[in-house]
This record gives sequence, C-alpha cells and structure tokens, in this order.
Amino acid sequence: MNIKNICIAVFTCSFFVNTFAQDSTFVKSKLKTKTKAKEKAWYIPDYAKMQFAGNLGLLSVGAGYEVAQNVLYSELLYGFVPKSVSNAENIHLISIKNTFPIFTKQIGDFTLSPIAGFTTSVETGNNSFLILPDKYPKGYYLPSAIHFTLFAGVQVHKKFKNQNIFKGADFYVEVGTVETYLFFALTSKEVPFKDVFSSAIGVNFYF
Amino acid sequence: MLFGILMIFTTCENIFNFSAYMANVKEEDKNTTAKNLQLIEDLQSESKDFKFAFVTDTHFFYDNLKTVLDDINKKEDVLFVIFGGDYSAQGLLKEYEIFYDILKTLKKPFVTVIGNHDYNSNGGIIYKEMFGAFNYSFKFNDNKFVLFDNVVWESNKIPDFDWLSSELSNNALFSQVFVIAHIPPSDNQFTDAMEQNYTSLMSENNVPLSIHGHTHGYSYEKPYGDGVNYLTVPSLKKPKYCIIHVKDNSFEIELIKL
Repeated sequence: MNIKNICIAVFTCSFFVNTFAQDSTFVKSKLKTKTKAKEKAWYIPDYAKMQFAGNLGLLSVGAGYEVAQNVLYSELLYGFVPKSVSNAENIHLISIKNTFPIFTKQIGDFTLSPIAGFTTSVETGNNSFLILPDKYPKGYYLPSAIHFTLFAGVQVHKKFKNQNIFKGADFYVEVGTVETYLFFALTSKEVPFKDVFSSAIGVNFYF
Repeated sequence: MLFGILMIFTTCENIFNFSAYMANVKEEDKNTTAKNLQLIEDLQSESKDFKFAFVTDTHFFYDNLKTVLDDINKKEDVLFVIFGGDYSAQGLLKEYEIFYDILKTLKKPFVTVIGNHDYNSNGGIIYKEMFGAFNYSFKFNDNKFVLFDNVVWESNKIPDFDWLSSELSNNALFSQVFVIAHIPPSDNQFTDAMEQNYTSLMSENNVPLSIHGHTHGYSYEKPYGDGVNYLTVPSLKKPKYCIIHVKDNSFEIELIKL
C-alpha cells in the first residue's frame, strides 16, 4: 500500500510539476535552441534513441524530437523481441513515447532531471489483432494489439566537448507499467504494486 | 520522489519486462497439472464419499478469488479444487502469473481446464507450459474426471471429440464419470453438429454431470431430456463457487455465496 501511494504520487507529480518547472536557465537555453532549430527542417530528428526493456521490446530504437524543449520530448520507436526470448512468435512493436522532464538540475558537467511520461504501443506481429477477426460476434473483444505504458525515472544529460558527431547524450533509468497491469494493482489488494512495475534503461544521442 | 523511484526499482518482481506478449513462463511455475495430479493421487482412499470444489471464470476478480480460496481452505472435507477456465482477459503472461501467485495460497491440490480468454494472444503457449495438456483425465476413489478443452474460436481448432469419446468409452469401470469443459454445449461457439456431438457422447457414456463456466451465470438442469445434468457455475464477479459432494453412484451440488 505504501509503494502504491508513492507510485500514484510520482505519476501525479510528473504531470503537474512540469507545467510549472521553469527557471531562467531554461528560458535562456530555450532561446538558444529556438534559433538553432530554425536552421534545421522540422522532420529531421533531434536525437537518436535506444532503450532496453520497458515493455517496448527487448531493444527498441528510434528517433526523437524536442517538441517543446525541457517540457516534452516525443519519440518514434521500433521494438523487437526475438522468438528465442519471447517463447512465441517474434514480437514487433511500434511505439510513440512521450517523456516529460519534471525539472532539471545542473551538477558539474551533468544535467540531472527526473522524468515521467507515457507510451502508446502497437504490436504488429502475430501475437495480437488490431481489427477483430470475422469469426467473433461484433464487439466480442477489444483490439489486443494496443497497449499503453506509464513510466517515471531519472535522466542524466552530458554535453560532449567534441561535438563533431553527437552534441551530447542522455542516459536514463525508468520504472514503468502497462495500463492493464496498473488497473489490476489499483483495483485489487491481492496484486502488489511491485509485481506490476519493471525497469528500463536507455540512451539518447543528440545530433 | 527520487527515493520513491529507487524503492520501486529495487523491489520490482521482474526487473525487466520486454513486452506484454511474452510467453516465457518461469521455471518454478511450469507443469502445474502434473504436480497436482500426483498430490490428488496421494489423497485417494477407499471412500466413495468425498467433496471437491469448482471455481470458474476468475478473470481479474482477484480479491474474490482470494476470498473463495480462503473459504475452501477452511473446509476440511473439500479434497481438491477444479478450475473451469478464464483466468485472464487477454491471455497475457502477467494475468497468468497473478492468478498463479494467488493460487499458491490454496492449501489443496487443484487442476484446471483452459477457457476461451486464456487462448488470447500467446495464452495457449503459456497455458501449456504453466499447467500442461489441454485434454486429460484422472481417477479418484473409483470415479473418473475428464477435463476437456472445447474452445473453438480462440484456439483455432475443433474440439477433439475423438479423444473425448475414447476417454469415456471405459465408463463402465467407474462408479461415475464427470466431464469438465469451459463452455456449455449450448453456446454460440458451437455449431449444432458440435453441440449434438458433445451431448450424445455424454448420454451414450452415462455421464451423470457435465460441469462448465463461461456464461458467468448459474444453471443446473437437464436441458436435453436424456438424464445428463449440466451445471454452469457463476464467475467470480461475486464470490460464488460450487461444492460437488460425490457419493456412491450419486452426487449433490451446493452453490456457495460468500
């Protein structure tokens, strides 16, 4: 129950605090990148991402955009779990991940920020369906290919001195859950919160 | 907040989850049916008078499942439990794991049949690893129990009526033969031919009782006028289950509402 409360607090905080978390350094850096951003076409991603686990695949890779700097980072990811690991068909997942930094804190060369967010993910392999097969009466099942995840974690950013290839990188660690699992934990006292959460680690490389 | 995250991180049961669709059952959760059939065999005696419980359609009614299991644990004369299917909604490994974790609090042996929901996604693979065969039977104190997988749509297969027929053919050797399948034969998953196939196997082989779940409601009747009783036990949306009291050549049904 204790952990349950903490989790609820973490998620609630994450969605509200980021709206207010602005300080002068943010605004400055915002202005800087705004002018920079104009030089680049809108569809060119700002960073490349690679994540391990987190219900988005054994490994997921993709491109990320600073939709609103220091407020919202959105990423398009492809995740994969091979047969040998899933013990079923190969799992293919296409996900849109939204990460909100709650605030940022400069510690030496590093920028530390608690992060939170959610993911929408579609399984495109043979493990699920998006459109109900004909054999079922109408509305018998909801589409089983779509899932949402919620997560919170910590991210460390480092600007590179040599900016020839990448300008900087993030490393992050998260704990998260799938919406169905969260429903079980919230509605049943027999489902402990610790059983429905799992971790993910990942990196972002900025262009 | 950071402390909260760290705490969750260190207490997570599964450190990493790759996808909701995984089917990699934990080693210690495998072959549950075989392990429990051994425990049931050890409970056998000369007595022709015994009780077993039937619980079905547990879905995500986890608190009610616990309530029912606690009640069964208190009843010393109930020797084992049969679960009638639908332990999940989406056939996900997490759903199976939660069900199985709660089942660990049951102090009596149990066996299961698969429900239609349990076949969704990779549920069929998970069921086979976690529990075992889809069709199987066991003997208990001169009675035979036949557990039959009759899911059609989700399993993409026709129920194995040949197997059922051969399992029932030696019915004369037993005091009574009970058949357990998730879906009652009148359900719309079956063609008229399948329904007739099932019900005639019951009557031809002198099955006194065919036990089901799936509809989430209670019914106990002889709808085909052939002397075969069909029992449908309610889901765990409310904490309800049945106790079947087996006697020498007869039985009694009790619906428990907690």
